[in-house]
Amino acid sequence: MSVAATTDVGVHVKRRGFFQLLFPSVFSGIILGVIGAAVCGIIVSHIVSPPTPDVIDYTNDSTAVAVYAGWTIFFFIGIGAFNGIIKWGFGRKEPTLAEEQDLAGKDQGFWRYFRYTTDHKVVGMQYLATVLFTFLLGSLGAFSIRLEQSQPGALFFTPSTYNTIVGMHGILMIASTIIMVSGPFGNFILPIMIGARDMAFPRLNALSYWLLFTALPVFLSTLFLGGFQTGWTGYAPLADQGGPGQDAYAFTIILFALSTTIAAVNIVTTVLILRTKGMTWGRLPVFVWGVLLSVVLGLTAFPAFFTSQIMVLMDRVFQTSFFIGTMGGSNWVYEHLFWFMGHPEVYVIALPSLAIAAEIASVFARKPLFGYRLMVSGLVGITVLSFIVWGHHLYTSGSEAAIGGPFMLDTELISIPTGVVFLVLVGTLWRGKIWVTVPLLFVVGLLVNFVIGGITGLYLADVPTDEILHGGMFVVAHFHFTLVGSMVFGFMAGFYYWFPKMVGKRLDPFLGKLHFWLFEIGFVGTFSALFYAGLEGEARWQASVPPEYAVPNLIASLFAILIAASVFTLIYNVVMTLVRGEKAEANEWGAKTLEWTVPTPVPLENFEELPVITSDPYNYGEPEAEEATVGAAPAKAELQTEG
Amino acid sequence: MSEATVPETAGGASPARTEPHHLRRAVLLWIVLSILGIAIWLVVAQFILPTEITDAGAFDNLTIVVFTVLAIPVAMFVWVFLGYSLFVFRTRERPTQDGIRMQPRLGVQVGWLGVTSILCLFLVIWGMFGLYQETSAASNDTLIVQVTGQQWLWTFYYPKYQISSAGQVLELPVNQPVQFEVTSKDVLHGFSIQALGVRVDANPGQTTTTQVVTPTAVGDYQVVCVELCGLYHTFMWSAVRVVSQTDFNAWIQSLGGQP
Repeated sequence: MSVAATTDVGVHVKRRGFFQLLFPSVFSGIILGVIGAAVCGIIVSHIVSPPTPDVIDYTNDSTAVAVYAGWTIFFFIGIGAFNGIIKWGFGRKEPTLAEEQDLAGKDQGFWRYFRYTTDHKVVGMQYLATVLFTFLLGSLGAFSIRLEQSQPGALFFTPSTYNTIVGMHGILMIASTIIMVSGPFGNFILPIMIGARDMAFPRLNALSYWLLFTALPVFLSTLFLGGFQTGWTGYAPLADQGGPGQDAYAFTIILFALSTTIAAVNIVTTVLILRTKGMTWGRLPVFVWGVLLSVVLGLTAFPAFFTSQIMVLMDRVFQTSFFIGTMGGSNWVYEHLFWFMGHPEVYVIALPSLAIAAEIASVFARKPLFGYRLMVSGLVGITVLSFIVWGHHLYTSGSEAAIGGPFMLDTELISIPTGVVFLVLVGTLWRGKIWVTVPLLFVVGLLVNFVIGGITGLYLADVPTDEILHGGMFVVAHFHFTLVGSMVFGFMAGFYYWFPKMVGKRLDPFLGKLHFWLFEIGFVGTFSALFYAGLEGEARWQASVPPEYAVPNLIASLFAILIAASVFTLIYNVVMTLVRGEKAEANEWGAKTLEWTVPTPVPLENFEELPVITSDPYNYGEPEAEEATVGAAPAKAELQTEG
Repeated sequence: MSEATVPETAGGASPARTEPHHLRRAVLLWIVLSILGIAIWLVVAQFILPTEITDAGAFDNLTIVVFTVLAIPVAMFVWVFLGYSLFVFRTRERPTQDGIRMQPRLGVQVGWLGVTSILCLFLVIWGMFGLYQETSAASNDTLIVQVTGQQWLWTFYYPKYQISSAGQVLELPVNQPVQFEVTSKDVLHGFSIQALGVRVDANPGQTTTTQVVTPTAVGDYQVVCVELCGLYHTFMWSAVRVVSQTDFNAWIQSLGGQP
């Protein structure tokens, strides 16, 4: 556990005893963070004058925000995020190789997962564990909802608890799905895929993960502060009303938006500058395209969400009135800011999952992609169009009837590039030598469900029909079909596909298939029933099911049992594999992208020699091309252009 | 590898004569299943579409029927080719050979883009037509109802009679055009009467005017709040009674108004 001792005075590069292990690590971060939170909270609650009777009590809100800010800043001091900044910053001194490797977690064993480690593979695994954890939390919320909705009337929860559960389920799942691909796979797999030794900004990489980590306790604190009543959308002015639980929501979003923005900057830079020789834009694996476009979209979208929550906090803490109509504000400001993030966000989720599907379809059909350029242009088309469709969430907002037409056009146009993606995926499988594995099953599930999710979107994109469906269960079923049935299925495909590379062990394929079938059948059953309920007119966010919709809700709840069973199957499979799984091969599936050329576990710097690329990674069916994909690095080979 | 050096094989041109003609089979299957799907939908739609008692609502139902009829062949195309691939081209073991190299020919690309664009254009034109139908202005005999949402109830005020409805019941005379002016006292609410095809947000500090609709059938319906508005959002609903003109007049009189 010790790194060769040097005479350098650096904080990390020393002989490591027990205390050197703890400081800095996540534990010192938590300790210092809690102390900092308490101190900031006490100071602010004393500074802020007690409210006069005619003013809303905002002491709780200012204290809550101070506690969260203190927690965040002191957590990062405690985990060592600022260590070495003075020494290395301002260009006074370059970090030595030993120092950099120490930051990257060299020779620290399992402990490196609990430190401010810069290695992209460690960050990827941290993201993966976190995403699985938040998915589990979110699905607990989902099953609570289905339990409550299985019968009319208040069964288990008060309306207040129910609203909080729905809101927590919503925002947890949305946040998890946003990072589920670009977090774990975008960090672990993407740099290897483009032939890089690490991300462009390794320390920002660690920062992006740990910001996410600090957001979790902030978010869960809402449970002890009365929850929040606004659902995942956090619509103001309702958000201006609630108790301090609403501050937890707003601050969580601020931390989360910071985290994803930083991660996005990092991924974009990595793809722009760290591609290996010969990795031209025309040979970039589609997965890299998907993640790149997704984070570019996120870069423009998330600042709007970030801003909206800062404005909500201003309204709540400093008594501004950005969103209070009677005091000169407007709720439409919030709605537009929110949906300017909220719609691109679903494509932030969709693009990488569709790209995973393309990657996997090609590998398991043993065929080149049915149109590499077609696929990339489809993804680019979706990206460009998705900036200008947010208004379809506001058809019935009453803000301006004239926006209906243009946004309807944009929204329906987006079905054209999406159709192109379908053509490529189906065309890739057609006449392949199809090896039916768990990842491929999930890709098939994605295609089946995404058709339904996409088509039901047409009714909602049409302004007149939206007027009988908006705000109803139909919308709920529609976005669950796209986000869960399509995109989470895509994530699951990627999870089963890359697990052997990331963990080095082989997941049990039988349990994997069981997981798939339980999930698919349960999912389609649950949300088909809700489509019906929505068509009949059941509104969203109902704490108690009106009796006339009892039957479809009961059916949905019964099918949800299958989904619950699928979750337990997955957990059992992962745990048993970690305990006693078979060792996986370095190239488990016979794929041709670069991450399968490196040994498992992947060495610290990924490649001994950086590879040179001469073709795109989908050249199946060409025996002579087998070896040509990756050659040894000639010392001064010219950058090859696409030929 | 550039695409030009690869022999471009279209979707189903089979390389060996002994193999069955997969493309022809799949297309046949697709046509049969699409027709079957549309037929089943046209029957099922009779039972599952919501009750609509206005022209606007009926047009919404028609839209759902038409869009679904168009969507079924698209969905079937994906599902049939997917299913066919999985059942016919699967290998029992890990495949030792690669699949057939195929790149989409220009015709396939243009055809696909063309068909999806035409479908998309149709949807937009249909939607614009629907939007246009909603723009008819209120005439003199239009009954105006001012709707105010607040946590967690609706109030209905009839300016023509200068009365507010009691017990949060909205009564409307049958075959009389009606228009709602919707606002809110506190937070966002969603004013929705699905049977009339009316749905608009109640915004604090703003009044939103809905389209003019004419209920054509006597019956009991519901106003539901469709924007989450806090604790008792679930219970923020009101009864809607569409009644005959004489019953409506009697009701107005019972509230102290002059019909």
